[in-house]
Amino acid sequence: MRRLDPRLRIVIFRVAILLIFLGLVVQLWYLQVVQWQKYLLQADRNRFRLVSIDAPRGIIYDRHGNILVRNKPSFTVTIVPADLPEDEAEREAVFARLSTLLDIPVSRPSQVPSGRVPVALAAPPEFSLQPGIKEMVEQGRGAPFLPVRIATNVEREIAFIIEEEHLDLPGVHVQIEPIRQYISGDLTSHIIGYVGRIPGERAEEYIKRGYDPNSDRVGLTGVELTFEDELRGRKGRKHIEVDVAGREIRTVGEPEPARPGHNLILTIDLELQRAMEGALYQGIKAAGSKAGVAIAMNPQTGEILGMVSLPGYDNNLFAEGISVGDYERLSSDPHHPLVNHAISGLYPPGSTFKIVPAAAALQEGIVTPETQFTCEGILWLPNKYFPDDPEQAQPFYCWIHKWGKHGPINLISGIAQSCDIYFYIVSGGFRDFEGLGLERLAEYAHLFGFGELTGIDLPGENAGLVPTRKWKRLTYSEIWVTGDTYNMAIGQGFLLATPLQILNATAAVANGGTLYRPQIVYQVTDAEGRVLRSFTPEVIRQIPVSQENLALVREGMKAAVEWGTAMNAHIPWVSVAGKTGTAEYFTDENNDGYPDRDRQGNLPTHAWFTAFAPAEDPEIALIVLVEGGGEGSDIAAPIAAQILQHYFPMPSTGAPPEAEATPAPEGQPAPSLPEPIGRPFRAKIVGVDEQETELSQLVGTVVDIKGQGIPGVRISIDAGGAPIFETATNPQGWFSYDMLNASASSRWNVKLIGLPEAEELHLEVEPFKRYTVQFYEVTP
Amino acid sequence: MSRRLWRNFDFVLLGTTILLIALGVAVIYSSTLGTPDLADLPYRQIIYAVLGLGIMFVVAAIDYRFLESFQKPIYLVTIALPAIVLIIGEITHGAQRWMSARGSVQPSELTKILLIIVLAKYLADHQEDVGRLRYVFLSLLYIIPPMLLIYLQPDLSTAVVLAVIWFVMVLMAGMRLLHLSVLGLAGVLATPLIWVTMKDYMRQRILTFLLPVHDPLGSAYNINQARIAIGSGGWLGRGFAHGSQSQLHFLRVRHTDFTFSVLGEELGFVGALLLIILLIILLWRITRAASMARDTFGYLIACGVAATLAFQAVANIAMNLGLLPTTGIPLPFISYGGSSLITFLIAEGLVQSIVMRYKKIEF
Repeated sequence: MRRLDPRLRIVIFRVAILLIFLGLVVQLWYLQVVQWQKYLLQADRNRFRLVSIDAPRGIIYDRHGNILVRNKPSFTVTIVPADLPEDEAEREAVFARLSTLLDIPVSRPSQVPSGRVPVALAAPPEFSLQPGIKEMVEQGRGAPFLPVRIATNVEREIAFIIEEEHLDLPGVHVQIEPIRQYISGDLTSHIIGYVGRIPGERAEEYIKRGYDPNSDRVGLTGVELTFEDELRGRKGRKHIEVDVAGREIRTVGEPEPARPGHNLILTIDLELQRAMEGALYQGIKAAGSKAGVAIAMNPQTGEILGMVSLPGYDNNLFAEGISVGDYERLSSDPHHPLVNHAISGLYPPGSTFKIVPAAAALQEGIVTPETQFTCEGILWLPNKYFPDDPEQAQPFYCWIHKWGKHGPINLISGIAQSCDIYFYIVSGGFRDFEGLGLERLAEYAHLFGFGELTGIDLPGENAGLVPTRKWKRLTYSEIWVTGDTYNMAIGQGFLLATPLQILNATAAVANGGTLYRPQIVYQVTDAEGRVLRSFTPEVIRQIPVSQENLALVREGMKAAVEWGTAMNAHIPWVSVAGKTGTAEYFTDENNDGYPDRDRQGNLPTHAWFTAFAPAEDPEIALIVLVEGGGEGSDIAAPIAAQILQHYFPMPSTGAPPEAEATPAPEGQPAPSLPEPIGRPFRAKIVGVDEQETELSQLVGTVVDIKGQGIPGVRISIDAGGAPIFETATNPQGWFSYDMLNASASSRWNVKLIGLPEAEELHLEVEPFKRYTVQFYEVTP
Repeated sequence: MSRRLWRNFDFVLLGTTILLIALGVAVIYSSTLGTPDLADLPYRQIIYAVLGLGIMFVVAAIDYRFLESFQKPIYLVTIALPAIVLIIGEITHGAQRWMSARGSVQPSELTKILLIIVLAKYLADHQEDVGRLRYVFLSLLYIIPPMLLIYLQPDLSTAVVLAVIWFVMVLMAGMRLLHLSVLGLAGVLATPLIWVTMKDYMRQRILTFLLPVHDPLGSAYNINQARIAIGSGGWLGRGFAHGSQSQLHFLRVRHTDFTFSVLGEELGFVGALLLIILLIILLWRITRAASMARDTFGYLIACGVAATLAFQAVANIAMNLGLLPTTGIPLPFISYGGSSLITFLIAEGLVQSIVMRYKKIEF
């Protein structure tokens, strides 16, 4: 082949170059002229984003306007994967620095955490061991420009350090996100609940309702869940121009503003709630129990004034993103602190249930107030098939049989003394006397709200169980016998109820037979405070029991407090009506396969007390339960008394009735109330005596300069700074408190309220002691 | 003598070059607007240009034939430069090529020119034998050591540029078409071997080019964003410093590898066409110098320079248009980078030196 001339080669070279460049120009023309619109759209899609503006969640207040929940800013650290350095080593350096700052490992393969999830928990929170930074970034690779959340609720100092080092930490951003601040924390966590990330398995459902499962937090339990639609508000929207890192450059057009969520004003009285928690806490501790419930409601409307379930938990842990350790601890606690036992816990109601057979028997004409039976302590129920063979008879005991018998007993004394025999006969019949029978007893139990949801606006409520013949046959393959009716009559056996159900039944007795739906929200307001919805009582039903008959039941409950089993709930300045309960239950904490019993062979018992006050015109209905606490009269009633004393403080102005009745002798001035300011008092311990009960007792006087007792001085008692109890001196200037618990705090303080010049008394409390103290006025 | 010499100086070549550099500085300015760290790059580029133009005049003043006698020392430097880079790189653990976004001195740029001179000398000396395959292979031996050293840096693109330089120069020296096809076959057979010795990132880039859906974050991301940038430019572009892809940083490595995309986005089809026309004029003037050269040595030097320039321009623009895989080949005179700019200005000095001393007898 001939070799080409150099000039020709240059021509070929030039032609080749021209052709290649022509090819490039064709492609350029194709992209820029033919496909121009398509790429312009793509460029716009790159830079314009439609983003939502989060709506501030509604605030929650108590009935007096105290803020219970608000929003606070928190720092969230995110990584935009696309912004990370391309170089492997530089990327590693960013991860390493972040790992040091945030205390998150650079890499940790995912693993399933151990430990059980409590079944009764309304909505489990996000539940996975936090992966390492690398794994989290890896998850975000599908959408490299969306920020991946690395750490939430980062401390302010750490957030500032990250901001300062942003040049060395490309791709790392600090965002400010509002999170919930539960100001009342543990105190109201079962009522308020908490918010959290949308659970993965329910994402679909929430997306339909307009949520973004990646960024939104929703109410998971409590009123945060039931009032989610009120609280969430409506998101706003805006078009923004962003750079490659997703940083907002400017807003395009008019943004559509967010509408803040509505505020909730609860029916809860925070001060009462606090008093209830304090009293219950002390009470269950003294009883050696770990769990308990106290609920207060207005019996005339169904408003819940306070609701405590112990043990509790701090819902702020959830708001801030709960750690695995904390969650494990809470969820594996045998007392289920995450569960609101007030509405979810199922218990045998014990003798508190007797108000139902009492009302039913009167209404059905089974008994009149005059009908009388005799309590011998034991009732021998003849065998159905061998009614004449006493050997085959089955014994049913009255609680009093260990100490004796009640003797003749009627409706009022039956309730007051909580005589089991009376209610066995009334409900199940005996010999020729025809009782209510299961059907009518169950019917009235249902009428009083047992066995059905009360419909309170909180999630996780349990319906309980009112047994029927069919139920027993299906469950136990046994027929219903009279003994089952006996047991049910005294709130044992198969009957199961929530504390709220018993309270609601009590409230119905108190208010004349109206069963209200318990409600927890008093008002819903918009962000400007305009009331959108106000509380209106909702009647479930009017119970078909006559006013006279209900008045008799109330009389029995009043008698219980005055001279019956509930004398520990007596308060001199307000009439209380109540019913104690001591409910046996089966448990097997030692895992021996048999129900646990004490040394005498008795089953453990829940201590109940349900009450209302004032007995004549009830303002408050109250229930107290101490799980495994023992006797209702010893354990639950005093707690209720303490709570009622908070609700009905001793009249602090004017002389008490006794003082009025006996006017002060001539020439001797009546003891005067202390001036609010300026009267100096000193405090001293007069004596310390031994006593038999472990809880030490405090007895004290407040005397003026002449040694006269001063009535109506308000006293505050706290354990190591935590307020426990408030009382006031009686007409003779005395006051007392008999639950000084040395194990709660060894240092107790006693203060005179409203007298800043008065000295504070410090007590080093030991168990089995009785302290006598005195506050005495001195010359200024 | 001197005045007569400068009368033949190619002012069209110089003017086109200055226009290109000016266009480049403008685009670099626009692409570094939002990045305070890089705000001084356009000014640095101007300084490099002034420096480079000065060197160009010095080189033009020197008779290129003077270099013929220094073939061996020049070749030694050609090998020594990449070798030194490799050794320093071993000490500083990788990252020989680009130390940072600003870049550092890149000796392999200079290697290109030195190799052109060495090859031109060899092929000129054996111009009667280039028709024989043996000499084609012998010339190949010259480029293999520097190519290998640069490939090991690892800098695949410069190694490819060296190969192209050799290929075009051997062709322009008169290689037979039969031998060309033999070489082509050998190249195809060698491909698997090259694939095996490639670094992961190189393979990744080629794979991404062939299968762009894969790996949205990596190389494909840049190619996609470049295409969007260019496409959205339309006829007249979105206005200088107003390209959303560039200004909001959706486009990466804007001031070096993807300068052409910035230009395409902001100045549109018209702007990009202007650039291509300027490049064609430049190549026309350089090949004109080749055809005017008084000897084969000069002819081959001009051809080598034209080949380098043409290949780099085409490779870079084609990469921006998504027609070739992502490589680190800068767009001559436009992309930011002192080493590249000064190297091309030196090369132009050589071309000027050739034009100034062409064969036509002066009276």
